[in-house]
Amino acid sequence: MTPKKELQVAFRLALVLFVVGVLSYAAFPVQQPEEPVRIMFHNPGGKVLFDHNMHTDASGYGISCMDCHHHPEDDESALRACGDCHSPTDDITVTSQTCLECHDEDEVDGSDAPKRANVFHNKCRTCHDDYGKGPSSSDDACKQCHIM
Amino acid sequence: MTTDRKKFIVSHAPYWHNGSSISERSYNIMFAAIPAILMGLIQYGGPAMSVLSLSISTAMLWELLMNKIMKHPFSIGDGNSAVIGLLFGMMVPASLPWWVVITGTFVAVVIGKVIFGGIGANAFHPVLVSISVLTISWGNHFDFDSALVHYNFDFVTIYPLVALKYFGVSAISDYSVADLLMGKQIGGIGSTFGIGLIIGGIYLIIRRIIRWEISVSFLAGIILTAAIFNISNPEQYANPIFHLLTGYTLIGAFFLATEDSSSPVNTVAMIIYGLGGGILTVVIRNIGTYVDGVVFAILLMNLINPLLDKIRPKAIGKVA
Repeated sequence: MTPKKELQVAFRLALVLFVVGVLSYAAFPVQQPEEPVRIMFHNPGGKVLFDHNMHTDASGYGISCMDCHHHPEDDESALRACGDCHSPTDDITVTSQTCLECHDEDEVDGSDAPKRANVFHNKCRTCHDDYGKGPSSSDDACKQCHIM
Repeated sequence: MTTDRKKFIVSHAPYWHNGSSISERSYNIMFAAIPAILMGLIQYGGPAMSVLSLSISTAMLWELLMNKIMKHPFSIGDGNSAVIGLLFGMMVPASLPWWVVITGTFVAVVIGKVIFGGIGANAFHPVLVSISVLTISWGNHFDFDSALVHYNFDFVTIYPLVALKYFGVSAISDYSVADLLMGKQIGGIGSTFGIGLIIGGIYLIIRRIIRWEISVSFLAGIILTAAIFNISNPEQYANPIFHLLTGYTLIGAFFLATEDSSSPVNTVAMIIYGLGGGILTVVIRNIGTYVDGVVFAILLMNLINPLLDKIRPKAIGKVA
């Protein structure tokens, strides 16, 4: 192939791939499934990769949705994500906004939804200890979930 | 002395070109990468195609733009920038946002290659310069566990080297050698399919596009160092096979360490370069902060490449 021909091929390749790339980004965004597969919790103690699928799937722990998602109590199809109510900080402003989607202002009290880290620590530890599976509350408990 | 002189006797013109060209080398490298890329496309689908297409095309367009600005003849015909874009795309997760891809190819082509003087003059592998800069700048986008949370696979979905570093050797028993070879591990789009990368590497060695001395000594460096660590404390350090089939090891051995301009040209120097890269990779993985060491190990060996080229017989034509 002559240098001129090579250049023509390269021009075409660049142009075609650029168009394909732009269109693909528009057509195939990374789909966020309705029910999470895994969730990465970023926090100062070291990120935690939570395998949501493993907890819910029958081949994994197979626990019920209501074991963790407790709100609203009477409708499993409308369950809220943990972060909708449990704020990552002590500031409950975000929490209040989420609550107000369904509740009137006088119905909710921020203290009903404790800080996210506290509920997660409590729920994860209790459940894993109860079932005797996965990370346990041992001396190196932090390192079993948190990675820096 | 007389014998040495004979080696440099050059016959008269006319000469016959043997047909080799930079573009031939580039297209062979791209051809060799196809098996690994296909696996990436099968696993990650449309988003992988987005990243690869955009990274190859923008790498070429950055070079074209620089040619225009610097009033140089257009050089994208040699396919080198396409290879840079392709390798960048192979090393990143399929969920990488478009703006990170464009920034990445800018850093690779403009900062990693053009600023150094273009093809043949880059001291470091352009893609590794880019990956290291971007990993430090936007670590979350290059953290495979965070980036690929929405993908559901039928294999262990934690990056193998993360499992090793943070959960210990006991955690790696979940990964079988067959799975790792077949690309059943999360990672970069084109850097997880072990068999595909090995086939591509062997093809490049047979076609004499890359030097086997570098690839083999790089892998030997990894095996030897990992074996020493493993024998000294099997409860803390993984076996050599695990190191061989995870992270960027195989893409590093066949596609990254072997880059022409940033690697040595003589046999002894190539073996030292490869061994050093392999040793540093495992040292960084086992006692360093980063989960994978390939990127920084090869960059460090790129750094001492001019020194290695001084080992006699001195490399002809290299100015260092």
